[in-house]
Amino acid sequence: MPPAVYLDHAATTPVRAEVVAAMTPFFGPRFGNPSSLHRWGREARASLDEARERVAACLGARTDEICFTSCGTEGDNFAILGAWRTARQHGRRAVVTSGIEHKAILGAVHQAAAEGAEERWLAVDASGTVEPASFRDLVRDDVAVCSVMWVNNEIGTVQDIPVLADEAHGQGVTFHTDAVQAFGKIAIDASRQPFDLLTVSGHKIGAPKGIGALYIRRGTPLEPLLHGGSQDAGRRPGTENVAFVVGFACAAEMAVAERDAESARLRRLRDALEAALVARIPDVVVHGRRGQRAPHILNVSVPGTDSESMLMALDLAGVAASSGSACQSGSVSPSHVLAAIGVSPDVASAAVRMSLGVLTTDEHVGRVAELFPALAEKARRLTGSRA
Amino acid sequence: MTRPRVLAAMSGGVDSSVAAAVLVERGFDVIGVTMKLFCHGDDVPDRPCCSLESINDARRVCEQLGIPHYVLNMERTFGRDVVDDFVAEYARGRTPIPCVRCNTFTKFRDLVAKADALDAPWIATGHYARAEAGVMRRGRDSHKDQSYFLWGIDRAVVARLLLPVGDLTKAETRARARALGLDVVADKIESQDICFVPDGDHAAVVSRRLGAGAPALAPGPFVTTGGDVVGEHGGFVRYTVGQRRGLPGGSSRPLYVLAIRPDDRAVVIGPREALFGRSVVAREVNWLARVPPRAGSPVEVQVRHRAPAVPATIARLEMTGEANGGRGGEIELALDTPVAAIAPGQSVVFYTRDEVLGGGVIERQ
Repeated sequence: MPPAVYLDHAATTPVRAEVVAAMTPFFGPRFGNPSSLHRWGREARASLDEARERVAACLGARTDEICFTSCGTEGDNFAILGAWRTARQHGRRAVVTSGIEHKAILGAVHQAAAEGAEERWLAVDASGTVEPASFRDLVRDDVAVCSVMWVNNEIGTVQDIPVLADEAHGQGVTFHTDAVQAFGKIAIDASRQPFDLLTVSGHKIGAPKGIGALYIRRGTPLEPLLHGGSQDAGRRPGTENVAFVVGFACAAEMAVAERDAESARLRRLRDALEAALVARIPDVVVHGRRGQRAPHILNVSVPGTDSESMLMALDLAGVAASSGSACQSGSVSPSHVLAAIGVSPDVASAAVRMSLGVLTTDEHVGRVAELFPALAEKARRLTGSRA
Repeated sequence: MTRPRVLAAMSGGVDSSVAAAVLVERGFDVIGVTMKLFCHGDDVPDRPCCSLESINDARRVCEQLGIPHYVLNMERTFGRDVVDDFVAEYARGRTPIPCVRCNTFTKFRDLVAKADALDAPWIATGHYARAEAGVMRRGRDSHKDQSYFLWGIDRAVVARLLLPVGDLTKAETRARARALGLDVVADKIESQDICFVPDGDHAAVVSRRLGAGAPALAPGPFVTTGGDVVGEHGGFVRYTVGQRRGLPGGSSRPLYVLAIRPDDRAVVIGPREALFGRSVVAREVNWLARVPPRAGSPVEVQVRHRAPAVPATIARLEMTGEANGGRGGEIELALDTPVAAIAPGQSVVFYTRDEVLGGGVIERQ
């Protein structure tokens, strides 16, 4: 069996050795609670504060603008619901987002709607890019919060977040972006880019699962989701996960330092893989191909195949990929993102997302470039023989 | 390196778990799959969506066996081939067996296609039946025998089936599960319900699909064979031929449902002796026997799960599907002795001793 190929970095990434090393003392002698007044507490507090400064620096933010969360989903929920619940008191009754957002945003927006918000859906074109006219049309002075993801997790489309945030501000609208897939791939700088709220997550950049952060621009009113203690000035009560916060800071610094070189490397590999698939499967559909795309995501459909069979066959051959969406049971379900950009159900049901990252090598790409067309060809032959 | 590959359908129950475990022991390259066939979603509160618990149990067993596990989303085709037919049959006043159609279309056609895609020449399930050299036989445990539900599958697929628990009794299967350390499933209670019918309330499924005002759910008369109206029922969907429950009382003798007439929504009732029939007409006939019997041949027939097989003669046979691997057509059987409660929509299955020759869907007596 040739070595395994992991092409699912958009789902999660391995924890980097440096991150493990940075966290280790906190599973040993430095176990203190940052809220305690004694020496153990002070040590933990110092580590927490330092980590917050480091993460802030990675985002061009001020230290008090970083709120640590347990995951991207929490950050997204905090942003949408926190902003909505505050702004509705001032007569802003609508929430604006797009149909290609992560389920964490869609779920939070639906919750806001259940609490009385009007949902407004931005039009997206076939590449997954938000239509500017639609944005101008929907983001008016009655909007509580508008959320558009920076990099789409299924097809990789990049939105022009600074421009959208600026337009939202023109209407006094709080602007949020889910930057979970953008962090480490796109230059994020809160001191120059006018977003108010921004979600990032640790496990997509080499930190463990269970840590993330929400950037909250100074002066952005946000009702907390959790109530209790005074941690993080009451914004996010609960004893801080110091070990993971430190690990996150370590991973974030590496991701930012390596961003340009790693993005270029991944783009070269992704483009090579894409070119090979297009050459060998002439009718392959590359989703989001005409938009601006992040360097690490390739989402393709081979007409006449289905995601489920392709993913199983790839897995049995040692290649990990994804359909981009799964239901609670772990079965493949139709992608709401592909539906939102107008991909026909037949083509969407064949989608396979390959996401490159730290583990990806030239050899891996070469192997998948051979294997994928062969599996697709076989799947197609079987479908054809049954039709 | 060249271990034969088998796709094992795993429901999360003890039978299919042991089936997979036995095949791992025998040295097969086993791939466990659980079919996700329906999703109640928000329809049924307090019930995990799409039997999530069963899927998780199957996943845990596979983890323990050290084999891959996948969840296959087969909702669309199962809905079309099994649930739609189930609803349509009840709406016609018949008593369908969705398990037969699931075996025929979902498990042993669509799942076989998945096996083909994964280069698996073999398919395994936890059925109590035996497939030996292309011949389908009753399971060793006569109390558990499930061959009655398997008559509709493609003949060519029988040669690819591995049914390891068909050689075991249920007690042996449970003992095997305990011996293998499959504690997750060893003592699991057996489900008697149809998987997609919550709480056995099939009328609720019909109602959800067709609306509460559908004729099958509307009140109609109880009539005697003589044509007398003797009461009113709340919808013929709740009745099946041979049923005693829910009939008007006051008669000196027990009454049974003899027939359902959807045209005037009548449920025809009468005494037990009127339930017996001497002939069966069936359609959608499928043969598993390599050489199907001809008209005039003797066969044993079984008209219900758990009913004994009785001797009969093929009185008439019109095959329309010769080109289609022996599927389709109509058969008429003359029974040597009368049989009770021959219900349209149920299966009639043909046997010679323990070999399944084929079967069909009962059209009428």
